[in-house]
Amino acid sequence: MAESSAPGGFAEDLDRLEQIVRRLEAEELDLDEALRLFEEGVQRLRAARERLGAAELRVRQVIADQAGKLRLEDLDR
Amino acid sequence: MGPSLDQFAALSPEGAWTVGEVTRRARAVVEGGLPPLWVKGEVSGFKAYGSGHWYFTLRDRVAQLRCVMWSRDNQRLPAPPADGMEVYAFGSPTVWEERGEFRLTARHLLSTEAGGLWQVAFEKAKAALQRDGLLDPARKRPMPPFPRRIAVVTSADGAALRDIAAVLERRWPADLVLVPTRVQGDGAEREVCAALALLARIPRLDLAIVGRGGGSKEDLWTFNSERVARAVAAVPVPVISAVGHESDVTLCDLVADVRAPTPSAAAAAATPDREELQDRLDRLSRLLARALLAPTRHAGERLERAGDRMTAGIGRQVDRARARLSESGARLDALSPLRVLERGYAVARDDAGGVLRRVAQFTPALRFRLRVQDGEVAARVGEA
Repeated sequence: MAESSAPGGFAEDLDRLEQIVRRLEAEELDLDEALRLFEEGVQRLRAARERLGAAELRVRQVIADQAGKLRLEDLDR
Repeated sequence: MGPSLDQFAALSPEGAWTVGEVTRRARAVVEGGLPPLWVKGEVSGFKAYGSGHWYFTLRDRVAQLRCVMWSRDNQRLPAPPADGMEVYAFGSPTVWEERGEFRLTARHLLSTEAGGLWQVAFEKAKAALQRDGLLDPARKRPMPPFPRRIAVVTSADGAALRDIAAVLERRWPADLVLVPTRVQGDGAEREVCAALALLARIPRLDLAIVGRGGGSKEDLWTFNSERVARAVAAVPVPVISAVGHESDVTLCDLVADVRAPTPSAAAAAATPDREELQDRLDRLSRLLARALLAPTRHAGERLERAGDRMTAGIGRQVDRARARLSESGARLDALSPLRVLERGYAVARDDAGGVLRRVAQFTPALRFRLRVQDGEVAARVGEA
């Protein structure tokens, strides 16, 4: 079956982003570390936004063939 | 019964009727004299045959009535009546000729208890599910926050799929997979069970919605089937039940992890809202920028402090050097021959500038110079 078109990896990006903000806010980081985290945060933010924007609904139907094997077929809506 | 059947002839053995003739006549009399009617009584001796037909007896304190209910009629019922249950049966009294048996061919059956047979069957199945722990709230699984693949078990041409797709399109465009099944009528129960069983074989499935748009209470019966309820419980991912009936809670609803009143509501319960997430990302973006300010400012302050310290450090060194310098100057000063001269001493030097230290150097008439505090004087050694 084909890969999902849903915003995958979104949860991970969002979790990491929140973690980064928390660390930046809470900890006394040296500038190098803070900048490194910030850069990663910006990347995660961009990735999450892209995933959210790019996702498109795809509707498919499960079809079982005679051998009982399943396949997914696009459904006309 | 033809005109050849003569009741009077049968008053003598020579005119005897056949068994078939009597039972056929009896059937005609019964059916002619008793129109289809409702009968109230208590069920006993219930038996369902492999053919699907039901046989039982209705009785009260004084009499009993054999009943048959053909499978095409009893299929509409949620469950067979239990022995001892009081029911209303609607049917035609007749005679079953082969057995010579007077009986009622029942077409409808209602329990006299509140809610009727449906309710009785429902309660019975619910008790069984309860016993097996399938209604335990601890069984309820949390919804995945960001589902990527959602399966819908419903009819391919029903409104449920359309409604769910519309909500997902707006909120969270997941990968939607229809597992088509009939949701009402003959065989719907079996089909829904098969569709639910199939969910386990869909790879990377995050959650499932099972349901249909609204319908009459009888239409919803599929979702009150104990078999369907058990099939829902066996689905390996969280299940949202959306049977489309606000007032009636079905067994499927009870077993599912989440109950939604409609398919649209199920789709909303299954997914985050894209717009809310955009807002959340915007907020995080602002927080991120602000969060970087602190370490930056911190680093700036540290830099400034370090500069201050450095300047201060250099200043101290300069001061120290200066102090040492003036100290050295003082010492140098003390050693200066001028200081000695200040105290009244004088230095004698010859023309060549050599210092005359001994008497022997002062030969008679020697001209020399005498250095005192404020200058030199010319001098000469006198005659001895």
